[in-house]
Amino acid sequence: MFKNYLKVAWRNLLKNKGYTFINVGGLALGMAVTLIIGLWIQDELSYNSYFKNKESIAQVFQSQTFNGETGTWSALPRPLENALRDGYGDNFKHLVMCSWTNDHYLKYGEKSISRPGNYMQQNGPELFGLEIIKGEQDALREINSIMLSASTAEALFGNEDPINKTVTVSNEHKLNVSAVYSDIPVNNSFNDTDYIIPWEKYLAVNEWIRNAEDSWGNNSFQMFVELADNTTIEQVTDRIKNVKKDLNEDTAQFNPQIFLFPMKDWYLRSSFENGKQEGGRIKYVWLFGVIGAFVLLLACINFMNLSTARSEKRGKEVGIRKSIGSQRGQLIYQFLSESFLVVLFAFVVAVVLVFLSLNGFNELSRKEISFPWDNGMFWLVSLLFIVFTSLLAGSYPALYLSSFKPVDVLKGTFKTGKYAGLPRKILVVVQFTVSVAFIIGTVIVMQQINFAKNRPVGYDKEGLIQIPTFSQDFVGKYDLMRAEFIGSGAVVEMSTSSSPTTQIWSNRSGFTWEGKPEGFQEDLAWTEVSAEYAKSLNLKILEGRDFSRDFATDSLGILINETAKKYLGMENPVGQLLRDDDEEDPNPPLKIIGVVQDMITQSPYEPVKQGVYVYDRHDNASYYNMRLNPNQSATQNITTIESVFKEHFPEIPFEYDFIDGEYGEKFASEERIGTLSGVFTALAILISCLGLFGLTSFVAEQRKKEIGVRKVLGASIFNVWNMLSKDFLKLVVISCFIAVPIAYFVMNGWLQEYPYRVVLKWWIFAIAMLGAMLVTIATVSFQAIKAARANPVKSLRTE
Amino acid sequence: MLLQLRNIFKWVQQGGQRIFLLKDINLEVQEGEFISIMGPSGSGKSTLLNVIGMLDTFDEGEYDFLSESVHTLKEKYRSNLYKEYIGFVFQSYHLLDDLTVEENLEMPLLYKKIKSSERKALVADMLDRFSIVGKKDLFPTQLSGGQQQLVGVARALIGKPKLILADEPTGNLNSQQSEEIMQLFKKLNKEEGVTIIQVTHSEKNAAYGSRIINLLDGRKI
Repeated sequence: MFKNYLKVAWRNLLKNKGYTFINVGGLALGMAVTLIIGLWIQDELSYNSYFKNKESIAQVFQSQTFNGETGTWSALPRPLENALRDGYGDNFKHLVMCSWTNDHYLKYGEKSISRPGNYMQQNGPELFGLEIIKGEQDALREINSIMLSASTAEALFGNEDPINKTVTVSNEHKLNVSAVYSDIPVNNSFNDTDYIIPWEKYLAVNEWIRNAEDSWGNNSFQMFVELADNTTIEQVTDRIKNVKKDLNEDTAQFNPQIFLFPMKDWYLRSSFENGKQEGGRIKYVWLFGVIGAFVLLLACINFMNLSTARSEKRGKEVGIRKSIGSQRGQLIYQFLSESFLVVLFAFVVAVVLVFLSLNGFNELSRKEISFPWDNGMFWLVSLLFIVFTSLLAGSYPALYLSSFKPVDVLKGTFKTGKYAGLPRKILVVVQFTVSVAFIIGTVIVMQQINFAKNRPVGYDKEGLIQIPTFSQDFVGKYDLMRAEFIGSGAVVEMSTSSSPTTQIWSNRSGFTWEGKPEGFQEDLAWTEVSAEYAKSLNLKILEGRDFSRDFATDSLGILINETAKKYLGMENPVGQLLRDDDEEDPNPPLKIIGVVQDMITQSPYEPVKQGVYVYDRHDNASYYNMRLNPNQSATQNITTIESVFKEHFPEIPFEYDFIDGEYGEKFASEERIGTLSGVFTALAILISCLGLFGLTSFVAEQRKKEIGVRKVLGASIFNVWNMLSKDFLKLVVISCFIAVPIAYFVMNGWLQEYPYRVVLKWWIFAIAMLGAMLVTIATVSFQAIKAARANPVKSLRTE
Repeated sequence: MLLQLRNIFKWVQQGGQRIFLLKDINLEVQEGEFISIMGPSGSGKSTLLNVIGMLDTFDEGEYDFLSESVHTLKEKYRSNLYKEYIGFVFQSYHLLDDLTVEENLEMPLLYKKIKSSERKALVADMLDRFSIVGKKDLFPTQLSGGQQQLVGVARALIGKPKLILADEPTGNLNSQQSEEIMQLFKKLNKEEGVTIIQVTHSEKNAAYGSRIINLLDGRKI
């Protein structure tokens, strides 16, 4: 029987090629979108699945409150380590201090590479369950050891056995390779950690870290824990939350709260709003999930509409089958097997589409998703997906078609209403509501991105590059290098800074100044720079003056930004002093010599943070910032700079970034969302139009005789076109009026997340509506005009 | 007795008025009869046939088919009943265009859940008997009207029904084709004892039957 159904279905598909194309094509597009979104979501949800103890691993976080604003950080003070070990040690299987992951130079023989890595305490590799493929298990036991990831080992040593060979790190520390661990796959934390060096080495080579042993105020370190067996994240958090507050009087006023941030939340739920965990990437998972579901729904609606529109043709078959003895249930089963067949086809096409577009999608979404051919679970889920889609698309047509009375359909007097029945109209309205809402959403996302992009950054980011200078080799050489680089003609001005131009790496508090309100808890962005910083960035001085090498006292001078001027409450900041409020051992006071224009260093969607630029007295910066010679090509400049660089630092790989590129990174996430939703919107519209196209052709077919009669009676082509298009246009207009308030509500909510945001204008909605109507008219017109141009004699004669 | 209709009424409501399609129809049909229903257009011929064939319902009265009271049966049981005992022949043949002749013949057997090997045999018999073996792989649209109706009759017969209901079976055929179909009915009735009820306009065709029922405005006259 089933075979018979499939046979009929198959012949039906072959006979009505146009209909089949629209149905299979539309469903395939919809399923492809849903599939690819499904793969993306699966990828997002499987983040950190490399770590087997994922459930019991956590990072220690703290939150503190300044002036009523609670901030949350992973950066911790060193004394917390012993406080937790001594007081709460039995809550943890492991507790590991860890540095930030930074680039360093690794050198072996002639090979020199720059790679990110970090410092960890001895049982770090065990905590994270790293797989040691060569060398010893306890690889961080010796202070002068280093463990390398497999790919790093290969890059440095090629086919040689790296174990017990000596690697020079940052051009000064000679470390013994004690182990090689297999690479941590992408889509996992520490994927960028290419080597690990013992924490003891970190202490040994950095005085400031040794000095931080008892400093509760220096929050510069990370800590990871694995829970003991008999306890939970919540329980331990409850026990340790006040440990810092209780042990340190100075910071107690900021109400520091220590808590465990579980590994399963690191990636998707890493956003903190005023001390509370609030969303994160998970909102995009939801967003795309919803988009995927809607696109699939649109495709299923096509199927429903086209199937029921064709009911007059299928009606006869229903009548015959019923008169021969078929029961309704059997017919429902038959129509469902037909939709199953169509969906199965569509799925095959969708798999091909996904396979072909996966590379492009990966590029857009910055993923490395591969098609899970060999994953049994995937195919099982796919089967469920096919069945689900068949039911979603096929149920309504099956119920509708099987309900026909044989007497009615066989008599030949059966007509399904004038053209589109009410349910079909409603479904078209649903389709276009979703499409119009998608259009509006995408336009607003794009607008917001452009709005933030066009925001003045405060400095001139074109023709500006940065070169990292983390190595000790650079210390004390700035003046020399500046002369060399400018002398080469490739650079017109340069400076150093302790953080990159596009970020803030350090924040400070603990100052007093004249007029500071009682109990004010300040928080200032802190950047140490060389004298030429403002000049090299073309940063405007608004009050006072820039640093000058002519004044020796400028080494204790600072520049503040406009926001800081307001923040500190100074009418005339120039000449005022910022004093260290440490009474026992104060640093010398800093004198404000000028106010510079605000520049965007953090999120382009947030207000600029109050910041100070301090003269770098130690010539120990993290970056060179160079203004390239505008009269030469960038390539020429870079080549010259590289050769000068190589001359002085032959051991260090030459690396540089363009600042405007780095700045552009700030938009990457929103741009990705924008592009992806743009693509999905286009597909949603395409699917909807495909359905509309099919529907119009059926209506035109059904009303052929009417059109013939009208033409004989003198209707023009325009009249007929108007008659056919109007009905559909009406539906789209209704959709617009439903979509606009929904889109407004949702997008307004989305924009609230951005303090610096575009104002929603009425014309965005107008354009989206107009666009939808134009697309409708274009889609409908093809069939309408074709029907209107047909020779009426032909259509009347066939009757 | 094959079937019995007692005081059958069927009506539709139109503008607050009842319009009777069938009015107090009483009919007894014995096995082996060949009945022709005649009457002008709109007299209720087809409606009566559909009521007998259980494709249509009625509003009042009683209907016994092989001692089962049809009016009290559930839909599912009713369809089992006519699937088993009744075959339909239509004026416009109503073959499924997407199926070949062979497949069209096979279809009623599928609904009767007959095994594949048995189906093959029955279909082959029928093709042979109607001399359409050569046409078995053609689609209905590739056949002439007479041939299509031949397939229609074959399809009605394949389930070995006790009763064949034919609604103007020759209405779309020319006189020679009509003659052939009517001869076929006569033969089936005589030789195999199949009960036949046909609706017809033609006096000539009606004459093939053993009894004529005349209808006017839903009444037997």
